[in-house]
Amino acid sequence: MIQTATPATVPPAAPPAPDARHSPALKRAQRDRRRALLLLSPGVLWMLLFMVLPLLMVVYVSFWTQTTFAVSPDLTTASWEQFLGSSTYLSSIWTTLRIWVVVLAPTLLIGYPVALFIGLMVRSKTLQTALLVLCVIPFWTSFLIRVIAWRPMLGTEGAINTILMNLGLIDAPLTFLLFSEFSVVVGMTQIYCVFMVGPITFMLARIDPSILEAARDLGAGFGRIFWKIILPLSLPGVVVGAVFVSVMVLGEFATAASLSGRKVNLLGNIIVSQVGSLKWAFAAVAGVVLTVIISFIIGVLLRFVDLRKEV
Amino acid sequence: MLVLKQVSKSYGATAALHGLDFIVPQDRYVSLLGASGSGKTTLLRLIAGFEEPDAGRILLDDARLDGVPTHRRDIGFVFQNFALFPHLSVAENVAFGLKYRADNRVTDADEIRARSNDMLDLVGLKGLGGRAVGAISGGQKQRVALARTLVCEPRVVLLDEPLGALDANLRERMCDELRQIRARLGVSFLHVTGSETEALKMGDEVAVLSGGRISHSAAPTEVFTQPANAETARHLNAYNTFAGRVANGVLETPEGPLRLPHDSKLAEGTTAEMSVRFDRIAVLAPESASDGRMGLPARFITSEFNGSTRLCFFRALDGELIQVLDHLSAPRLPDLDEGSAYELRFDPEDAILHPQRAA
Repeated sequence: MIQTATPATVPPAAPPAPDARHSPALKRAQRDRRRALLLLSPGVLWMLLFMVLPLLMVVYVSFWTQTTFAVSPDLTTASWEQFLGSSTYLSSIWTTLRIWVVVLAPTLLIGYPVALFIGLMVRSKTLQTALLVLCVIPFWTSFLIRVIAWRPMLGTEGAINTILMNLGLIDAPLTFLLFSEFSVVVGMTQIYCVFMVGPITFMLARIDPSILEAARDLGAGFGRIFWKIILPLSLPGVVVGAVFVSVMVLGEFATAASLSGRKVNLLGNIIVSQVGSLKWAFAAVAGVVLTVIISFIIGVLLRFVDLRKEV
Repeated sequence: MLVLKQVSKSYGATAALHGLDFIVPQDRYVSLLGASGSGKTTLLRLIAGFEEPDAGRILLDDARLDGVPTHRRDIGFVFQNFALFPHLSVAENVAFGLKYRADNRVTDADEIRARSNDMLDLVGLKGLGGRAVGAISGGQKQRVALARTLVCEPRVVLLDEPLGALDANLRERMCDELRQIRARLGVSFLHVTGSETEALKMGDEVAVLSGGRISHSAAPTEVFTQPANAETARHLNAYNTFAGRVANGVLETPEGPLRLPHDSKLAEGTTAEMSVRFDRIAVLAPESASDGRMGLPARFITSEFNGSTRLCFFRALDGELIQVLDHLSAPRLPDLDEGSAYELRFDPEDAILHPQRAA
């Protein structure tokens, strides 16, 4: 509007004519913009101070010089060279990614049907809430207890082995159950499954029942309706759930530490042990690598769905 | 032909439908008129199979329909809120039934495209197939919903208040088009509505749902001029109804005694209801009503100006509301003062007498 009012000789970037600057609509837009910035500033400030700055610090520290007992701010790439040149550390990246995929699959396979039941089959809102609360009840105990509780379940003298032996199904206790990758996957699946259930349930509960009736009326059976209507409409929930689970599994160390018997070394475990032995520069390298991996995975996941559109 | 026999459906203690008999003939536009909460939607949902009746039978072309799963019934349902699939384009919405239905699935992509496009043309959405469902207007959504149902060539199409979500202007236009589209396809439409004008305008046949039953089903003119019972008359929003008992040759009602039509054969002491059209009642000022003829005393409350008509509200002695309609092209009512008493009269031959059914 302003553009058409200004003469053609004035470049487009020129300030608006004086009368336009005093137009009430423009003033209001300016006021709104100022208010929006004001509302935004505490959050931005917080993120700058406690996220961006520390992140930059971690990257900076990863280039410091590390000696056995001290770390000095002389820039060097030694820690990076050591990390990228060591098969132990590189294989821990691989382990982290493998555990991530292996945990993501069962959380989805177990979580989706649960969500389907709560979100779609249960009609009463009260019952839906009650069931969701039920899913969260394990979180009322501490994280470590939840993890360690798997030991008496999976151990050689544990509940599962005892039951199988008494039933006569096995002669000797199964040793792969505990202190193995298996126990880590079981432990993580149990803990993180609910983060998959929640978002999917909310997505499913939002589906208008008449849409499903319409599909049925148009002749589609349950299978078709599931694949063509329910699944696509719940996909944003799946992606959000996957983001939750991914972020937590990729940064995990406690489950692996207490259930793997030191056999599974995730990037998180490396960071913990390096910090424990005061190797800050080296821990920073692992931290940067982990952050890059997580950012990349979240970026890819969010490619599948536009979360802004789902509100 | 769709036939419902003695169909009942209750929700907890409340009966939505109670021994309902109903026939939707072949190749007709049938409108179903009912107040909100009268069980209109329940009736449609029973036919479509979203719910099953507690008792009774539903037959389509002599084959039992109740008990058949929804997706094998071959019934089309147009939802009030359209229920379009939000993640699919217009064309994909229309093609859904052909592509994914359990019976007679069409696998040839060209055929699906051709049939969907033909149907989009028919409902006046040529070239909009690629649009997202969120990017079209309410009227267009309505057309997509219709096309999506019709492309499957169902044997009966059920429309649940299809015009309810449209604004008045659009509603007028869609009324016309719905009738045209139906006539061209030769399939029966069952159109549920709460608006008596819509029901009378749309239907080749109008059925009135009241008290869980069809109280009257006939051509629109017949339903309007000769409602079979007082419930039907009340739904038409054009009749005052009076309930009473026959005594001394008149109908004694709480509002006052009413003369009976001369051909009435009601015995003394029987109960009956009388319906009188809003526009068949005359209003007389008290001083000009001293000729000794029978009339109902009533107090004028207020009137509603509707452009070509004026609807006047009177309060009878027992507090009942009586409505009188004046066509302003030929006004016949005297000047009315709010709160003043008047006498309401009508020709007993204009009244419709309904003997009370033995309960």
